Amino acid sequence: MLSRLKKKSEASATPAIATWHPSFRNVERLPDTKVVRTAFFVNAAAITVALGLLTYFGVKEWELRSLKTQITDWQRQIDRDKAGSDKAIALYKKFQTQEARFQEVDTFMKSKPLVSDLIVRLAQTLPANIALDSFELRETGLALRLTVRGAPDAATGYATAYLEQLRTDKQFALFDQAGANGFAITNVQRNTTSGRLNVEFFLTLKTGKEAKK
Amino acid sequence: MTNAEVITLLKKNPIGVGCGLLSLALVAGIYFRSGEVPAAEEELAQKSDEGSRLAANLQNAAQLKEQVDTLSACEKELDSRLVHASQTLTNYQYFYKLESDTGAKMTVITQAPVGAPAKNAVKSLFAGVPFAITVQGTMTQMIDYLRRLESGARYCRVMSVTCSVPAGDRGGVVTLALNLELLGQL
Repeated sequence: MLSRLKKKSEASATPAIATWHPSFRNVERLPDTKVVRTAFFVNAAAITVALGLLTYFGVKEWELRSLKTQITDWQRQIDRDKAGSDKAIALYKKFQTQEARFQEVDTFMKSKPLVSDLIVRLAQTLPANIALDSFELRETGLALRLTVRGAPDAATGYATAYLEQLRTDKQFALFDQAGANGFAITNVQRNTTSGRLNVEFFLTLKTGKEAKK
Repeated sequence: MTNAEVITLLKKNPIGVGCGLLSLALVAGIYFRSGEVPAAEEELAQKSDEGSRLAANLQNAAQLKEQVDTLSACEKELDSRLVHASQTLTNYQYFYKLESDTGAKMTVITQAPVGAPAKNAVKSLFAGVPFAITVQGTMTQMIDYLRRLESGARYCRVMSVTCSVPAGDRGGVVTLALNLELLGQL
């Protein structure tokens, strides 16, 4: 053991002189001795990158081609339909002009109630003990003056019942049937000569938005 | 690195160099054509919108020609039913004809001037020509007169009416005072 240690210390004591010999190796020309050559990795990476880029480029070009095909198809359809559509637009403008005229006539005709219908309806619904003295259609509504036959207490009842009957009559829908004062008794007077009751109704016409409902 | 060395390197790595050059070319191509797809997509959206709109126009206009023809025919009738404010006597003739048809007696007939449209009013295509008329007759004649007036040859709306029945003689003569408008040409 001692001898071994001694040998080692002797060996370390000797100066380390590199063994020199001329290097005749041409590194450039020497073959790559690795198991898989570096060039393989380089080429594989280059090919992968190139293929990836080529695929991306190809997909984009295919997409572009597809879009251009679709654009061409639409353009063909547009060229085919343009003349017909222009003609249809011109026709539609004419239609709109005509329609506006008819709409205005319709509005004109529907803006006021048909007086003849109202009078006929009043004649149809008038109770036997009530007579119509006057009928006055104004800008705001319809005033009816009536004579009611019967004892005053009963006559007021007849008048009220007739007013309620008119309120629910569809023929009078242009008047404010829903409003509290749309159908109102505006005057009640006893005729001292005849003993009958003179009653005045006022039926308010609907205005603006109410009339359109 | 000298040219000779570069050439040697190229010759030594033809695949890598070729792929590199191809990649460069592709990158350049991708870069320069990168705007083409969005532009084409935008153009396609525009064309498809326009194409769809034109197709919808054609589809919606399938029966438009017939409808316009029908309206044109109706328009002729509409025009023939309009009055002209300037032709007062012709307008009166219409009311006299009604009078003779119904047997009612017209005691007053006046054509008023056409009122100017309100400042904020929607531009109108027609004008209401106002008339004031007083008619007398039996109730049956009055209703007949009104019916013919409201559904007659002219477009008419009654603005106001006063109808009074004599209290002593309910089956007698009724007086009807009318303020009405006939639809007329502007």
